[in-house]
Amino acid sequence: MRLAVCLCLVPDTASVVGFLDGQIDLSRVNEVMNPYDEYALEEAVRCKERFADSVVTVFTVAPASAKEMLRKALAMGADYAVHVIDTPVSDPFQTAKVLSQVISDFYKKTLPDIIFCGKQSTDFQSAQVPSMLAELLDITAVTGITRLHVSAETVQVEREIEGGFESFELHTPALFSAEKGLNIPRKTSIKAVMEARKKTIELLSFSLDEPRRVAMTQFQPFERKKQCRFLADEKELVRFLHKEHALF
Amino acid sequence: MNHYLVFLEQRGGVVKQASIELWNMLQTYAARHGAFVLSGLLLGSADLQQLDGKLYGDGSIFYTNDSRSDGYNLEHYARFIAETFTQQACTALFFAETVLSKELTPKLSIRLSASLLSGVPQFDQSGCDSGARRAVYSGAALALMQSACSPKIYTVSSFPSFEVHAPKGQREFIALDQNRPSLRYELLSVASQLVMCQGAKDLTEADIIVAGGRGMGGADGFVLLERLAELLGGAVGASRPVVDEGWRPHSEQIGQTGKIVAPALYFACGISGSVQHLAGIGACTLVALNTDRYAPIFEVADYGIVGDVHCILPKLIDAVKDVLKKK
Repeated sequence: MRLAVCLCLVPDTASVVGFLDGQIDLSRVNEVMNPYDEYALEEAVRCKERFADSVVTVFTVAPASAKEMLRKALAMGADYAVHVIDTPVSDPFQTAKVLSQVISDFYKKTLPDIIFCGKQSTDFQSAQVPSMLAELLDITAVTGITRLHVSAETVQVEREIEGGFESFELHTPALFSAEKGLNIPRKTSIKAVMEARKKTIELLSFSLDEPRRVAMTQFQPFERKKQCRFLADEKELVRFLHKEHALF
Repeated sequence: MNHYLVFLEQRGGVVKQASIELWNMLQTYAARHGAFVLSGLLLGSADLQQLDGKLYGDGSIFYTNDSRSDGYNLEHYARFIAETFTQQACTALFFAETVLSKELTPKLSIRLSASLLSGVPQFDQSGCDSGARRAVYSGAALALMQSACSPKIYTVSSFPSFEVHAPKGQREFIALDQNRPSLRYELLSVASQLVMCQGAKDLTEADIIVAGGRGMGGADGFVLLERLAELLGGAVGASRPVVDEGWRPHSEQIGQTGKIVAPALYFACGISGSVQHLAGIGACTLVALNTDRYAPIFEVADYGIVGDVHCILPKLIDAVKDVLKKK
């Protein structure tokens, strides 16, 4: 099988996003592989382990600093990495556009059997790139999957929806985006890290002539602080919620 | 005049509460600013009578009783929506944010060359043309998202406590022609099956959420939360450690790697209040129950009781029962 995985770089959820003179300050941010992309990559590597002669290629549109993330991906089991640098993208549409071009160019005539993405990035949480990419490549997609089973004929996937489950059976080529719960990503061993150094990271740059469709501006601190009113007992609390606020 | 199309999502024949709320929210803006007309689109054979008395304001509801649209099919839905949007000369397309709309809207944005703003919490006073503010970076910052082109697509987060101020109005139901060549069903490579869980209350549509954290001590502790939630007609939620421990399913996780919720009332029981958890909670009245007086959750709470949740909750449940009995 030919498997492609799209990765993106996000601030580690534990890092501090601060503000300096009214501007957002990302200098103390540690960047890592998007957690949802880890599920996507893990699933691709598991497919590779099940089917002989499979190749996992990872793609990212990110600054040069993403090299470390790609090394980790190669250590987790990817075979080859394509790193699109010097290509500033400022919204999901531009990202999907670049990825679709790069993936089409890389695979020439036949698209990969499965493309895996994370459900969304943890920084902006738009969850747009996977479905846009599938549409641009003209393939079927199921987003937010929690189970995947590949058989000789078809692929079966399952996902959670509000108040239930939904399952699909489809043919490849297809794109799936991974939700938490799909698998537990492996830890990389020192041996795997050493071996990953021998694998190739191909550098590309790309010129994009499509303008962005969404602008993100005016970052400001999200002030949530309130003055908590400490109460002595439960009856008092219920009285406030019921009488004063009529919440139930 | 702007013409907005609202997608009324149905699952198993039931129109989603979040879609109805979105329609009414937009009607409230229309009543205030009057800068647009509204139409709705309902795909699949849902009983239209279920909408009686639930929708406010004037507008046309386009529907199809085509059983082929009963089950969700990405390609079929995308075609139907794109075609209706173009034929009715709409300027913006609105969806309640759901699993389905998150999958459909990016596809539609490519097809209609539209901008797409996802997870919009609520528009500000001036309506939606000025964009929307949304939390980014795990809730550490707010950013203004604006469309840079037209037409526009929005997915709007559920907001059950929104107050509707719109006239009763009248809706006209218009059946869509299902036999137009472009909509004729083709063999698609997707077969799907839907299983709805009985009685499961959707977190994103709940007015009241009773959420538990590590402080609940284990899966058993959630029995108390279930009892309180049931009493109040609410839903049970959980923090990430609880889900990671396997005490509760991932579908109940609230926060950055879980659901984004916007109830009117939120009980945080034994939850310390990490930034990642708070990122999932919209503006609401927040009640915190925690043993640690200095837990960060109290900094964002409206009301707090310091103490062991296992002692507080039974008393709280009794107090709620007393009040509800008197009603």
